[in-house]
Amino acid sequence: MALLELQNLKKYFATQKAVDDISLHVEQGQIFGLLGPNGAGKTTLIRMITGIFYPDEGSILFDGKKFDPIKDVGKIGYMPEERGLYKKMKIGEQAMYLAQLKGLSHSEAQSKIKKWFARFEMDSWWNKKVEDLSKGMGQKLQFVTTVLHEPKLIILDEPFSGLDPVNSNLIKDEIFNLSRNGATIIFSTHRMEQVEEICNHIALVNKGQKILDGTVKQVKQDYKENLYSIGLNRSLIEVSELAPFTLAGTREDSLIIKIKDGHTPNEVLRFVLDQGLSIHAFNEILPSLNDIFIKLVEGTPTARQFQPVQA
Amino acid sequence: MNKIWIIIKREYLTRVRKKTFIISTLLFPLLYMGLIFGMGFIAEKSKQSLHVALIDSSGYFTEEKIMAQNLADNSSLITLVKAKPEAVMADHKAAGYDGYLVIPSLDWKTGSDSLVFKADKSYGSGSTAAVEAKLNRIWSAIKNDSLQIDGEKQKILSQRLQVSSYNIKDEKANAKTAEGIGYVSGFLIYLILLIYGSQVMMGVMEEKTNRIAEVIVSSVKPFQMMLGKILGIGLVALTQFFLWIAFVLIVYNVGIASSSSGMVSQMVGTMQKIFSSVNMPLILFCFGFYFLAGFFFYASLYGAIGSAVNEDMREAQSLSFPITMLVIISIAMMSSAIADPTGPVAVWGSIIPISSPIVMMARIPFGAPGTVPWWQLGLSMGLLILSFMFTVWFAGKIYRTGILMYGKKPTWKEMIKWAFRKN
Repeated sequence: MALLELQNLKKYFATQKAVDDISLHVEQGQIFGLLGPNGAGKTTLIRMITGIFYPDEGSILFDGKKFDPIKDVGKIGYMPEERGLYKKMKIGEQAMYLAQLKGLSHSEAQSKIKKWFARFEMDSWWNKKVEDLSKGMGQKLQFVTTVLHEPKLIILDEPFSGLDPVNSNLIKDEIFNLSRNGATIIFSTHRMEQVEEICNHIALVNKGQKILDGTVKQVKQDYKENLYSIGLNRSLIEVSELAPFTLAGTREDSLIIKIKDGHTPNEVLRFVLDQGLSIHAFNEILPSLNDIFIKLVEGTPTARQFQPVQA
Repeated sequence: MNKIWIIIKREYLTRVRKKTFIISTLLFPLLYMGLIFGMGFIAEKSKQSLHVALIDSSGYFTEEKIMAQNLADNSSLITLVKAKPEAVMADHKAAGYDGYLVIPSLDWKTGSDSLVFKADKSYGSGSTAAVEAKLNRIWSAIKNDSLQIDGEKQKILSQRLQVSSYNIKDEKANAKTAEGIGYVSGFLIYLILLIYGSQVMMGVMEEKTNRIAEVIVSSVKPFQMMLGKILGIGLVALTQFFLWIAFVLIVYNVGIASSSSGMVSQMVGTMQKIFSSVNMPLILFCFGFYFLAGFFFYASLYGAIGSAVNEDMREAQSLSFPITMLVIISIAMMSSAIADPTGPVAVWGSIIPISSPIVMMARIPFGAPGTVPWWQLGLSMGLLILSFMFTVWFAGKIYRTGILMYGKKPTWKEMIKWAFRKN
């Protein structure tokens, strides 16, 4: 069942169509990657989902009902890209304050903070001030305050920036954990290797419009170019007109081939075997999300141009 | 609603628990009293008792008359030089004088207004005034002798008529006391508006600089966030006030308890006289009202500026300059309102919401409805309520856009555009 359903959302600013008719469908329990170059409209989209902006047009369904920012913000946890904490405030009080703003009672908040602090080995931090923390420690605290109230929907904008690999893994494991426990996660980033690792569904946004939407597997299938790598006992082979493939490049001890339209890998193998060559490896090369991203976004100017908008 | 309380609580507690709050609350009354007493003390100290050589060519000044005055008043010492006046004039220091004064040959009926006290350095007017006063008393004695006026007649001659103003509509208002209370309360509101107004601005800027604004607005409406901040800081200001009032009351009661000591009991007496000579409940009520309403009016504008600028303090200063100017103009209007509490500046200044918190507070002690008719007070309060509701709404609109904007500093024109945008 869809936890979040965006229907034809639009948000125009004075000089820009920040979000121009985007529809999305996020299933319960999904880890959903929201991708896009800088200035694509991701943040504006997220701000509408978190109730910070009202959409100009379109509607948002949350948990099957029309999204009501005042009631539903307690069920959402949002870690913005521009994030921070009160520097002079004690860490325990800070977490308590943010939890209470999300609607938790004092005692509820207290026990949950204790639990999370213990989990992240932050017990001794309670009376420290935020300004005493390193960037990574602050990031961990920020993550805890985001998920503390057990939101149904967690939105993380570049959650790993500034984290070392150890702490990144810690947070990553928690993300999987939360997802297993039924939370839905929207994950926004530019780091494609993280997306491949974490997300099961992605949407790509560019210039305020959705240009790609699907599971990671499906997207890769859709954008594959019939490339295979084949390992042979010779580094060069004759490729005649009759061959069912063309040569696309070479790697260290294998060749990269592109299968011609209408042919199958089996035909390729048969062709190679017929030539008396021995094969020690053969596998399909799927495009990385990075490649797909660059391919789709390439050609758009790196910075969005300002344009007059007729709403 | 509940969330605003949480915000108010945080804003209030983080500020009240700060050391600077405790220190400033304790130090302000001490500094204030220190300033008043210290100034008096320094003025007293800097007065010098001058030893003046009097070189008399008129023959009126006798040793006896001078001695009589020297005995009565030791703020200066006048010595009549009989022998070798040239030696004194050549070097008064060597002769043991601070300076000398030459009385030309003059007629007792016309006197002289051009006597010069000559000395090798400059003395303050406080020191020379004492000499002048003593000299004039001697001169009076000389004239009295010449006119053959005895002690009885002198008493009659020194009688004076005194005039003080009395408002027949307000039995209580006493101009001098009213002036004092007007000054103090107007000035306190001025301080509150500037100090706590800029605290609101800094608080909002802090949220932007720390990048916590977006985290918070994903939980509460920006308007609640702003209102919570203004109310929380307003409560801090109120707390500080109550502490000062408590401080005064403690001093007052301790004074009553130990009224044996002369100076303190005199102070207590003066305070009792002050409190009974004006309409204290009305003044306190108006103070509370204008303090809060004026604070809302200005703090919301300061908050809007804080939301619009980036971390740069200079940007904030240049944008808040017009607002600060309004407060400063109000305090300038206050002076003329106190000098003439029913004049046009006072009346208009106390009705227009921009200046009414300060100017009306300066007028109120003169009495209502005598000096301030009820309709003026009502109109002033009504307009101020409407205006602060407007500025809070207006600031809320700017705040909502500004708090999430980073980059270029907006102009006032752009900010006004934000406020009137549809959504």
